[in-house]
Amino acid sequence: MKVKREFYRSFKDLPSEEYLSPGSPLCAGCGGLTTLRQMHKVLGDNVVIVDAAGCMTLLAIYPFTPLRSSWLYTTMGSPSAGAQGLRDALDVLLAKHRMSADDNLQVLVLAGDGSTYGMGLSATSAAIHRGLDFWYLCYDNEAYGNTGFQLSEASPFGSATATSPQGTQQTKKNIFEIWRAHQPPYVATVSAHEPIDLAEKVRRAMTMTGPKLFLALAVCPTGWGFDPALSDEIARLAIETGVWPLKEAIAGQVRHTYIPRRLRPVREYLKLQRRFRHLFQPTLWGETLTYIQEQVNIYWQSVAKAEGAKQPTLA
Amino acid sequence: MVLRIRFHGRGGQGVKTASRIVGTAAFLVGYQVQDSPVYGAERRGAAVVAFTRFGEEAILERGVIEHPDLIVVGDETLLANPAAGVMVGQETATAIFLNAESAQPLVEQYALSPSTIAWDLTRRTQAIVGVASALSVGLAAATARLVGLIPEAQLLSAVRRELMELHLPEGAIAKNLDLASEVFNALPSLEFPLRDGQETPQKISSVLYEGLLRGSPSILNTGNAEQRQTGAWRLERPEVNFEQCTRCGLCFLQCPDGAITLDQNGYPIIDYDHCKGCMLCQTLCPVQAILSKQEVRSW
Ligand SMILES: Cc1ncc(C[n+]2csc(CCOP(=O)(O)OP(=O)(O)O)c2C)c(N)n1
Ligand code: SF4
Ligand code: SF4
Ligand code: SF4
Repeated sequence: MKVKREFYRSFKDLPSEEYLSPGSPLCAGCGGLTTLRQMHKVLGDNVVIVDAAGCMTLLAIYPFTPLRSSWLYTTMGSPSAGAQGLRDALDVLLAKHRMSADDNLQVLVLAGDGSTYGMGLSATSAAIHRGLDFWYLCYDNEAYGNTGFQLSEASPFGSATATSPQGTQQTKKNIFEIWRAHQPPYVATVSAHEPIDLAEKVRRAMTMTGPKLFLALAVCPTGWGFDPALSDEIARLAIETGVWPLKEAIAGQVRHTYIPRRLRPVREYLKLQRRFRHLFQPTLWGETLTYIQEQVNIYWQSVAKAEGAKQPTLA
Repeated sequence: MVLRIRFHGRGGQGVKTASRIVGTAAFLVGYQVQDSPVYGAERRGAAVVAFTRFGEEAILERGVIEHPDLIVVGDETLLANPAAGVMVGQETATAIFLNAESAQPLVEQYALSPSTIAWDLTRRTQAIVGVASALSVGLAAATARLVGLIPEAQLLSAVRRELMELHLPEGAIAKNLDLASEVFNALPSLEFPLRDGQETPQKISSVLYEGLLRGSPSILNTGNAEQRQTGAWRLERPEVNFEQCTRCGLCFLQCPDGAITLDQNGYPIIDYDHCKGCMLCQTLCPVQAILSKQEVRSW
């Protein structure tokens, strides 16, 4: 089940402008980069990005940048504080008529999960609480990518990282619900594999003032350990296995923008990635795999109940 | 004595693992060992350097190897990139190993030392392991053989240990062991005139404080990353078969780097100066209109 589309019916309707030039130093096949590229197309030209230290910081390294928009780089803990400063500065310039309304910029925080779920959460919580008018894109590659793939609070249960080589026992923090509990006007999960869904969500949020928060699953060939040729395939499996639900919350009201008719087994998603390889060999960790599958099933059962939708056939 | 080996490659080719395998193998022989990669902003496809030192006494040297005895190059295209620093210190190097079909043209083109040895690791790795870019074991085996101080048995146990640590499946480890043996036995051992003594570490330079404008430079240009030709990262080359292409536009939407544009008729045009060769466009094309060509052969 897909929700009805309001703005873009087919790929052909999506904006064709590019705001990122090629030539960036990010890994071949980087899902975070695809996501930013797609989101920027909808946001348009007048954007200033506030980046938290992470992989994306490599985008703009003196003297080169792929961006046609503006950029400010902050520490892992403070992109949302930086966004507040920029918004205030822009508002002052506008109020004093030192900048025309046409030149006004939309402020976009760009942060990894290490920053978003952890170090930067306090400043983001405060910014949402103040009702700051800004966009937030968390490209969630489920670990500290830039420094060699260490565990973050977004690393999924069982996944191996540089600091959890046997697979972590901790569960992924539910940042969507943490954000939503702040009652911002808009929260959504997105995936570069569904560019129309992503564009629709950005477009829907455009008329809203206040925090507009986006959580993207950013497939990461380098950290997750798969051939970059599979980047889009892995993103697709994350959705079809139900591991990565696509949803939004407008004024706190949650609805799923895609409910699969039947879930594919999570194993299909996990087995393609080195970070889960220890679950399959040398011995099969059957119980762990069953547990991961159960968590996904429980999630979708509750979605069906809450939204009165047809429950997907479980795997 | 200390033997210094410097490995060059691209992120994803296994240069770091190669330096570790050689380190572990030398350790198993009984040497004192140090191995380390350079960490920084390296990415899959970008230039990467790793170092192995081994010798009989404790190794007090630290940091990058500026005067290597052996330079091991996993990717010949790095020779064209001065920033990769492949040739740094080649005057004192006894030999250079190149993963290439033949040494002669490259020796001439880049004025390399005449004692440059080339061997086509990519072809054999593709044939035996099945992944052309998984060069770590081949590079390590070539190194072990060339330096002459590491017997095959220790090399093979080091390969097994390191690959097990990476959770490689048993089948893949077995193929890599075959590759290691083949490379080891195909190459000669060289004489290394070993330099005694250790190099004094470079002084740590003090960081000068610069004012805000110089200390944190601003980029006033936009979109100028286009000047960086990431096309050199490519191991495979995607090519569109226009007769089959239905102009669905999927590859254009999903190329992370925006290296695909659509022409007026909606056909995808690939920008080979920048395409990094991730090949996800080939995997996702619904009608298999994108083909893959081995880039290695066209260099
Ligand atoms: C306060 C602080 N601690 C540590 C670092 C070093 N550091 C730079 S990037 C990074 C990892 C960031 O992880 P994440 O936010 O998940 O982004 P990713 O690297 O995955 O893009 C770290 C630890 C830093 N910049 N600031
Ligand atoms: S490590 Fe992962 S997230 Fe970071 S640039 Fe590479 S692919 Fe992208
Ligand atoms: S994905 Fe395939 S069919 Fe679609 S535009 Fe690209 S090459 Fe053509
Ligand atoms: S291989 Fe295809 S998707 Fe990857 S960078 Fe090149 S054109 Fe883009």
